Amino acid sequence: MASRSNFKRALPAMPTSTLAALRNTQIVDSKAVLPAELIATILDYLPIPDMIRFAQTSKRMQEMVYDDTRWIQRLKSMGCWNDVEARQRFEEAMRRKIEAQRAREAEEARRTGIGLNGSINGLAGGGETERKTSVTLFDASLEEEMQRKSVDRKGRPRATTLDKGFDDMTLSSPDGTTRSSRPYVVDPKVALKTLAGARSIRGMARQEYGKIYGALAPYYFDLARSQSHTDPILFRTYRDPEQQAQMLNQLKIFAKSDWAQGWNQREERLDTMIGIFENAVLREFEQGFEVKEYDGRMKRYIHVLVSLNGGAAGIDHFVHNHPLMLEKEKLGNPSECLRNVAQGHVNLQPSHDFFKELAITLNDEAAIIDRVFPPTVDVLLPFLERIAEDVISDYITSLFDEAHDMGIEAYLKAVAGIFEQALQLAVSLTPSKGSKANFQEEAMRIITRCFEQHIDLYLQEELDFFKGKSVAEVEAWEKRLSEEEQSTETYYMSNVNRQAAKRDFLTSFKKVVMMPVNVLPTIGGASKPVPSPTAIPTTMNGNSLDPTSRSGTPIPGERATTPRPEAPTSELAAKAAIMNSRLEGIRSLFSIEVALNLVHTAKASLERAARFVRLGGQSGEEAKEQCESIFINLLQILGNQHIKPGFDRAVNHLSVYRPREVADHSDQGVAPLVAFLELVNVGDLIQQMVEVFYHQELLAANLTDRDNFLSPADKEKKRFEQMLDERVAAGLNKGIDVLMDEVEYICGTTQHPTDFNPIAAPNGMPQVFDIGPSQTATKIVEMVSSHTSMLMGSTDKNVLDVFNQEVGLRLFTALCKHLKRQRVSVDGAIKLISDVNAYTAYVTSLRNKSLTEYFAALRELSQIYLIDPNHAKEIATIIADSDRYHGIFRAEEVYEFAERRADWYQIKSAVEKQMYGVGCLVM
Amino acid sequence: MASASTDAAKVIKVTTSDGIDITVDRQVAERSILIKNLLEDLGGESTDEPIPIPNVNEAVMKKVLEWCEHHKADPPASQDDDSDSRKKSTDIEEWDQKFMQVDQEMLFEIILAANYLDIKALLDVGCKTVANMIKGKSPDEIRKTFNIQNDFTPEEEDQIRRENEWAEDR
Repeated sequence: MASRSNFKRALPAMPTSTLAALRNTQIVDSKAVLPAELIATILDYLPIPDMIRFAQTSKRMQEMVYDDTRWIQRLKSMGCWNDVEARQRFEEAMRRKIEAQRAREAEEARRTGIGLNGSINGLAGGGETERKTSVTLFDASLEEEMQRKSVDRKGRPRATTLDKGFDDMTLSSPDGTTRSSRPYVVDPKVALKTLAGARSIRGMARQEYGKIYGALAPYYFDLARSQSHTDPILFRTYRDPEQQAQMLNQLKIFAKSDWAQGWNQREERLDTMIGIFENAVLREFEQGFEVKEYDGRMKRYIHVLVSLNGGAAGIDHFVHNHPLMLEKEKLGNPSECLRNVAQGHVNLQPSHDFFKELAITLNDEAAIIDRVFPPTVDVLLPFLERIAEDVISDYITSLFDEAHDMGIEAYLKAVAGIFEQALQLAVSLTPSKGSKANFQEEAMRIITRCFEQHIDLYLQEELDFFKGKSVAEVEAWEKRLSEEEQSTETYYMSNVNRQAAKRDFLTSFKKVVMMPVNVLPTIGGASKPVPSPTAIPTTMNGNSLDPTSRSGTPIPGERATTPRPEAPTSELAAKAAIMNSRLEGIRSLFSIEVALNLVHTAKASLERAARFVRLGGQSGEEAKEQCESIFINLLQILGNQHIKPGFDRAVNHLSVYRPREVADHSDQGVAPLVAFLELVNVGDLIQQMVEVFYHQELLAANLTDRDNFLSPADKEKKRFEQMLDERVAAGLNKGIDVLMDEVEYICGTTQHPTDFNPIAAPNGMPQVFDIGPSQTATKIVEMVSSHTSMLMGSTDKNVLDVFNQEVGLRLFTALCKHLKRQRVSVDGAIKLISDVNAYTAYVTSLRNKSLTEYFAALRELSQIYLIDPNHAKEIATIIADSDRYHGIFRAEEVYEFAERRADWYQIKSAVEKQMYGVGCLVM
Repeated sequence: MASASTDAAKVIKVTTSDGIDITVDRQVAERSILIKNLLEDLGGESTDEPIPIPNVNEAVMKKVLEWCEHHKADPPASQDDDSDSRKKSTDIEEWDQKFMQVDQEMLFEIILAANYLDIKALLDVGCKTVANMIKGKSPDEIRKTFNIQNDFTPEEEDQIRRENEWAEDR
């Protein structure tokens, strides 16, 4: 509140003071004489002759008119003033002036004889020769200095120097001026070059402008006054069209320095005159063009046009009325590419011919342009631009439209193929003499611009097409699967070296991935007859459009009429077929074939889309993004829709598996687990395929940045891998359970009580068994090892280690449990020890240190059964010796095992006595 | 316009050098950049207090205000100075031509007042009118018209003429 009132009170004080101050000012009123700045403003509105007359009225006025900046401004308006040049000249003059001054000082010093040997010997020491040069310098610079002075202080009537200054200027035009009453006339030949000859000298701007004005103003004002185009002196003085053009060009520039009243009418007049002249010249040029007089009229008149105003009109005419524009239909019909082709294909031969024809024509034109046009103008580029706009754009637009109507696949192929061909065209163009250094880039830009309008649609279609096709593929497979479900499920892979087979398969996959897409035959077993048109490769590896340089590709279509048996057409197909037959068992979960097909489709799409990355700029970026999203879609469809359900199903199979309910145990493995492990193998294979694909297609082609961990493609790939790992881990977890169930089942069903407790033979001697592990042990070892070895090389080593350890531990527990259920006699102990040895041997092969220890302890333990009942004390010692078991068994546990001895009740008291009794005694 | 009539459609008073108060629409007076800035500095208050214009007398002030009245709807002068859009002289419009048909002393007074009051368009018109007066006159006539003292010797004068022969009309 307070502050506000303060503010209010403060405000009125200010205006009163301002106004009071104004009121108090005493004005010395005088007669209306315009101050200098206003006169200067008025001068700006005056025509040159009046300005000069104004200068003659008084010294003050002369000074004002002669002011250098006024003239520099006019020179600048015509682009005839160069500040840098002016400064250089000024500095030069200053230097000379200083030198002259020094020389003069030296001379004076010499003359006066003071300090000749002393103070300024540095200068004077130069001797006679020095002196000579300095004298000449002195003369020149003196003159210069005087000239400068005269300009600096124009007010001073220094008739001689002023005269001299101007005289110098006019002398350059030899018979230009004589000091007489004869009107100022400039030699027409000199006038032709006046503008180019203008110099930038400080203090001399008026003279320089005078030269230009003297040469051009007569023609300019005459032109502005004249009524018809025959009147002007200009056309009478100069007969040559070249000279006329040059003069008109100069007048056009000169008009820019004319800003006195009426300038717009004068300029308009000039423009009309130039227009008339230009039209006349253009007509000559056109006539020459019609009869193709390249070296005659065309060449002459285009030079005239160029010197008149850059020749834009002539170039325009040349470009627009070129026969090529009118005869574009002759080059080719876009619909030919779509005639007589199978669904989803395009014939790129006609378009190839079209571009070839175009390239030849354009290169011919470049030669003609070189002949006709001066090298200062670039005609080829506008011409090319026009061609691109009229001919190429038309062609591709109608082709794409038609292709789009026919089908998406044909459209996609057409866009990519034509783009490639167009780029070839751009590369094969030869620049003309007038072309700038960046002609190739420019040509590329022009050509690619034709495609810009199509790109968005294309990329969208490409992605949709890929998505649709992949999803359809997966669905078709699932459908087929559900139809033949449960028919024949042989879940076993023939006993081959999996790692070697996989490596083999991957090498050929890599090879194929690196090949251009079009060469790839359709994979997936059936090599369907390919219609011959597609056999014509769309890639043109050659640098030119020469059709012979096409890459020689095996054309499967040649023998398409004789349907071959299912012989794979390439190495990869063969490998895929072998792999397929090997992996037959798990086809019901997911199929490597489907994965291959998906990857292949993705590759085709990617290669097509990747071409557009070269466009650069926004479109290029979009193309890049689209490539990434194709890859992402590949992973999503492959991962989420194909692999994941497969894994889930396999895990389900595992979790419902009950070994006791399965009637048939003739097979060596646990069926669902085997299936699952094979699945892990295939999953790993697919993941490696994806990895190779990622490296070859995205990283190698620079579609995505290797180091950019934020790139969506990279992220998706990681997610895919993670998903796979998770499924594998989940499956393995279940797998171990199942495996142990099976182990227990085997233990429970096959171990005979007599194995470890043989019935004594009638003769009291134990029956002689073959020394070796029992049937149960063999079976268990075989079963477990066959499963663990299946994982070898297919999953991550860490996962594998964890898996093995878990299997070993669980096996150990299961065996301990099993052992506690047995009764072991001294005779049977040998059998037991062989069993344990068999287990240990197996576990050692897993190369897991802690596991080995467990089993070593088990082996030690098994020896307590071997001791003769007579040595009960020894038994007790062994039981109590926990070091033997590396701390894995406690004495109590060992005791429990000892209880399993067949003769335990006979030796129990002895052992216990030894264990506790002795202990008591000691205590 | 409507907003102007509500809060700023006031009249202001100016006091000329000879002590006469003239009442004028604020909008008209603001053709003068000087007055406009002054009023803005005053913050829109106390506009009932007359603004002293000590350089301009009543007659000239009235003439200037007449011009301002006629041109009050013109777009404000562009402030892009005299950079490269060089002051290429355009023709004087008819009303202005008539307006400028005054004796020479008055013409100069108007130009001075326009300069002082910072009315660029009026200044331009005035200068163009003067330029038109000079056009086609001999140095002598110019001297007479503008009351210029000749301080050249005849030789000097001739020297200038010869120096600039190139500029002579033909």
